[in-house]
Amino acid sequence: MADVRALAFGAGAVAVAAVPVAVALTDRHLAGASAALALSTIAGALAVSALVLQPLLARARRIARHQILGVVAFALVLVHVGALFAEAPDDAWFALSPDGPTRARMALIATIALFAVVALGGLRSRLPLSAGTWRVLHAYLAVVVITLGIGHAVLTDGALDGAGTPILVVLGALGLVAVPAAHAARTRRARHRVLSQ
Amino acid sequence: MRRPWLLGLLLALATAGIVAVLVDSETSGTGAENVGESGPERAATPAPTAGERERRCEITESNPGGTNNYIPDAPERDSLGSGFVISGLVRSADGCRPLQDVRVQVWLATETGGEQDNRASVRTDAEGRYRLETAPTVPQFGEPNIHVGYDGGDYGEVFIRRVVDLDDERAVVDLTLARSG
Repeated sequence: MADVRALAFGAGAVAVAAVPVAVALTDRHLAGASAALALSTIAGALAVSALVLQPLLARARRIARHQILGVVAFALVLVHVGALFAEAPDDAWFALSPDGPTRARMALIATIALFAVVALGGLRSRLPLSAGTWRVLHAYLAVVVITLGIGHAVLTDGALDGAGTPILVVLGALGLVAVPAAHAARTRRARHRVLSQ
Repeated sequence: MRRPWLLGLLLALATAGIVAVLVDSETSGTGAENVGESGPERAATPAPTAGERERRCEITESNPGGTNNYIPDAPERDSLGSGFVISGLVRSADGCRPLQDVRVQVWLATETGGEQDNRASVRTDAEGRYRLETAPTVPQFGEPNIHVGYDGGDYGEVFIRRVVDLDDERAVVDLTLARSG
């Protein structure tokens, strides 16, 4: 039974990882696009999938993979932004400036929150935080990253328009629902351990 | 968790801060109004009447991002492709008088290249109007946008960035210039 569940989880994870990038790659937006713009788009689409998978991995207690994917997600976002700077530095600096559009502010806040949530994960044992406080902070930052990261993708005209928009909304909702679900699963397991002792 | 109320307060403040930062922003960036149009062309701005020549028209201000990817002295070109038209009326702030033979520079990203590749200079006609046909703009940085600039001379320079929708056919960008000095 556990094998079937693991198989289903793996298949679902592959689907979540493949769908946004497949939609982006087949969109006409990338026809004739420069290598930098194509790289940025692919990295952004993969980052969406990584953000959605993170709470699902936490819920399934796959913590080692959760930690690795957190670093991968942050690296993907850096590639996404770095490629935009390579494409057109003027536009990239403008996007990050106080005069930038709302979607860019969402991206900037989401990136800072993503760095914070990855750092929080890496420094868990060294921070003077109780387990409860750490979990609430980690979940809060995760919700900020998913909400604003997906919001940024939805507001951005590009390779994830059209069919991409409902896919982004569904994936974002899945990720957001999975955050409290991961907490509930952890609480259930903890209660079960106490009762069985 | 010893002081849950403190953590709750901090997170509520953080959320309020995030919301404030987002609400404070403009959807397309500061001053980047949507100037795209489709369907039948609207009537051009009429020439000023005798009475109106006494008044002063509001100067077009540069907006943030206006000089993004600007390269001085764009080559004079008849078109940058087809499918989209950028046009406008250039006039003086004093008396709202149309300005003839003024060089206007236009640059935008299209399927044939980025903003630094697609640039052209056009000149205003006797009625102060300029017009450039181009391939439609593409959303290279999240939203299709166009740049129109006047790089100075008799009048003060102005560089603006405006946005359009993906299915628009035209963009109208009028410039009202103030005399230099």
